[in-house]
Amino acid sequence: MLHIHDASQFMVGPDAGDRPSPEGPLLRAMFAARKSVFVDLLKWDVPVLAGRYEVDQFDNPSAQYLILSDRDGAHLASARLLPTVHPHILGSFYTSLCEQAPPQGPDIFEITRFCLDRRLRASERRQARDSLICALVDHGLAQDVREYVAIAELNWLSQILAFGWECHPLGLPQMIDGRMLGAISIHIDAATPDRLAAAGIRPSRSLHIAALPAA
Amino acid sequence: MEQDYILLQELTRRVQGAANIEAYREAMAALTQALQFDYFALAHHVDPRTAGEHTVHLHNYPAHWADYYARHALGICDPVHRASHFAPGGFPWARIGDYIDLTARDLHMLRLGASQGVGDGFTIPIRLEGEMPGSCTFAMRPGRPLDSAWLAFAEIAGRFAFDGARRLMGRQELRLPMLGRILTRCQRECLLWAFRGKSDWEISQILKVTEGTVKRHILNACARYRVNKRIMLLAPTLLDGTFSITEIYGYRDTSFGT
Repeated sequence: MLHIHDASQFMVGPDAGDRPSPEGPLLRAMFAARKSVFVDLLKWDVPVLAGRYEVDQFDNPSAQYLILSDRDGAHLASARLLPTVHPHILGSFYTSLCEQAPPQGPDIFEITRFCLDRRLRASERRQARDSLICALVDHGLAQDVREYVAIAELNWLSQILAFGWECHPLGLPQMIDGRMLGAISIHIDAATPDRLAAAGIRPSRSLHIAALPAA
Repeated sequence: MEQDYILLQELTRRVQGAANIEAYREAMAALTQALQFDYFALAHHVDPRTAGEHTVHLHNYPAHWADYYARHALGICDPVHRASHFAPGGFPWARIGDYIDLTARDLHMLRLGASQGVGDGFTIPIRLEGEMPGSCTFAMRPGRPLDSAWLAFAEIAGRFAFDGARRLMGRQELRLPMLGRILTRCQRECLLWAFRGKSDWEISQILKVTEGTVKRHILNACARYRVNKRIMLLAPTLLDGTFSITEIYGYRDTSFGT
């Protein structure tokens, strides 16, 4: 199941479960999965709440989340979208990765915290990943998003390009805190779904897509 | 010489968008020159003579060196390729020794390459799930040193260029057909102990099943990957993530709860 969560509709954070939001447990599961991936596995230096949840200052009401869950509501994969008209990671901390001013506009969003649950086996992981990529494109088209921007480690960058969508570098990569990072722009238009399909990226049949109502 | 980012970006776009192999080679040659290098080579690390047409293998090396290289199938043992399997990112060839121990044969090959017109180089590893490892290399004629000012752009351009080549070859066709088979829990368990060096009898004692059951599970796993010997399962199951290196070599016995 794909859940599209527009945080402006809800209180965000691990306490969200205390509110009458149907997505509280799923958000908590996502923040816990993010802690497991980005803090425990990748050793990023980012804040952790209550020893269990990775939540930072960009997990605020302007953030949007795409979350894939299984039938029992367990987190499979997720991504966070930050509007570039509000403070976001590229524009706030990594402008040096851009040769010109970082792209900014109501139809440009930053993809951050692309997270695949560590419990997935290799084949499930690939399915969840491909489904989330397709969901990002479908969501972008539905919301009139023209461009995504993202910061990626260069090894992951090669994989991002392999999804088949149209990407361009925004500037020179740099070694930052021991990681070689680069910023890229991903162009989204009506041809993008076909480009993904031509590269073999399609949503998994076993993951049914259904957006929860935003209220 | 001042780096012109806009020009390099435009040249990279031309490589990305090339309509056919000829246009790609032309655009890649222009990008290589703008990055102050003499040669480019994009390749999956396979023997192109046996790997078939669905593999990336594009370069502008001197023809006699390329012929020698292909005749001796150096692509599968090239020290630059082997080092790229361990390097975290792009690396100048002077640092190959940081990643692998160079054998006498490797040193001979590098010297031979230099005598045939390929001196120093910078190689960007390309590791994609489901595909053989590959790399994008930019190289110099002998006697021309690498200019570190250009390496950051080479690192990113090389990745975009490799993807441009994949697009031309048909990205889906590059996927290794035998990877990504799904094993049952029992097949996986038996195979894991086999890879850890246990005999079928030992595995039967560990898993508390009969030796015949162990044999059957392993044979069935072989059938799923279409190989006829269990050792042939090691590379594909590591490559597709069915097993991790640490699972096989870094295990400890936890059956007593320690």
